[in-house]
Amino acid sequence: MAAVSGVAQARAGCRAGLTRYCRRVVLAPFFGSAAYSSVPAVNSREGQQTEGSARRRGRTPQSVRAHIPPRTERMAVDQDWSSVYPTAATFKPGSVPLPVRMGYPVKRGVPPAKEGNLELMKIPNFLHLTPPAIKKHCAALKDFCTEWPSALDSDEKCEQHFPIEIETIDYISSGTSIRNPKARVVTLRVKLSNLNLDDHAKKKLIKLVGERYCKDTDMLTITTDRCPLRRQNYDYGIHLLTVLYHESWKTETWESEKAEEDMEEYIWENSRSQKNALDTLIRIKASENVSNVTKEELLASEVVKDYRNSVVALKNEGETENNMSRYKESVKKLLNIQVSL
Amino acid sequence: NLVGVRLAGSQANTEGPKTNPLVSISDEPETLYKRVSLLVKGHDKAVLDSYEYFAVLAAKELGISVEKVHNPPKTVERFTLLKSVHIYKKHRVQYEMRTHYLCLELKYLTSSTAAVYLEYVQRNLPEGVAMEVKKTKIEKIPEHIREPIWDTLPQVEETEVKS
Repeated sequence: MAAVSGVAQARAGCRAGLTRYCRRVVLAPFFGSAAYSSVPAVNSREGQQTEGSARRRGRTPQSVRAHIPPRTERMAVDQDWSSVYPTAATFKPGSVPLPVRMGYPVKRGVPPAKEGNLELMKIPNFLHLTPPAIKKHCAALKDFCTEWPSALDSDEKCEQHFPIEIETIDYISSGTSIRNPKARVVTLRVKLSNLNLDDHAKKKLIKLVGERYCKDTDMLTITTDRCPLRRQNYDYGIHLLTVLYHESWKTETWESEKAEEDMEEYIWENSRSQKNALDTLIRIKASENVSNVTKEELLASEVVKDYRNSVVALKNEGETENNMSRYKESVKKLLNIQVSL
Repeated sequence: NLVGVRLAGSQANTEGPKTNPLVSISDEPETLYKRVSLLVKGHDKAVLDSYEYFAVLAAKELGISVEKVHNPPKTVERFTLLKSVHIYKKHRVQYEMRTHYLCLELKYLTSSTAAVYLEYVQRNLPEGVAMEVKKTKIEKIPEHIREPIWDTLPQVEETEVKS
């Protein structure tokens, strides 16, 4: 483009050096192939100094080149297509030997042909990813892959050997930036049955963790996103797990003040049910004038144990048909009630 | 060409590193991915279908087991704007943006296989298509969580424990 402005200035300015200037400009690629064919025309028009001649330079009849047939006509049927489209490229109608038509059809006509078709050029094409091309790429990439260890062929085995699961998400999109702030979130999942916890430690951990524990799947889920980098969030998650684990093994002095409302499951020993049952039995025995039976003997007896099991099952598992019938039987045996049908 | 790093731990491809000079083996143990889930989002369903064919074939060729391929339902974001620059409140124009989804779930990948597959598939992601990759890594329990340290620590004074 610098050549164009140079020529215009030369024409407006001195005419003495015009001949030399024109020749120099023409030799540089000005209108492509038209430049060479227009050399005699320019020299003959040196006499005319009008602006119109500047525009008409490339439009002589000699500038119309011979029509070259497209590459498709010279393509063999069994050619190597991956060398025609080795990478992602726009659709070139002269390079694709298919009679493709795309676009909205003219009235009582057909969709437009592929020559100069903007719709075909706009859409991303997969001409560089034909099945033989994919197979070639994968054959070259196969050396860089490793095999999954054959001993871990099921989810349960993975769970047994590698109990902790860490979930991270990567985001790819087209835009001005490749960064995505959501990519720093790390989710840590572990089943409590795989950790080395005793009864008290497990209950304390569940209380410490609160919402993050799911009772049905026995899964603890820790989601961290407070640090700016993914690696930092992962380290923080592991740190949290470590702290929880060690804190749950500790027994504080105030934990002895745990009341009945804080208990996670029903314990029959030293409960009101036990007291009531024993009181009732002692009174029954007293009214029958049997010698004083001690509490330990009563506790050890079969009927009381049966009653205890049914009450614990009712409280912990809820009311089911089975539980209710068991409770009924145990109460009948305890109080020696014979139901005559 | 990809200059890949192939990590130790497999006895299958013993011929590979000998013939291919680009492959280098390191002693680090590989990280294992139990599940890699690819969610591909685009505006044109035909492009996503072609991409699905490509990704599934690539996974098959590289020996990766594909667990599930499904299309979550598309989401359409619509909004109504005023057609004119000034007044004419009764005449509006409505635009919508359709996002189609494609979900590919792969199972049991090692880190080098995952790196190779994901790089190949992401380099050939068409323009105007986005992807989210969710990786689930499995790990052993770290050393410091095996046993509670209170057993191993020497007797500490009460004051130190409280602080």
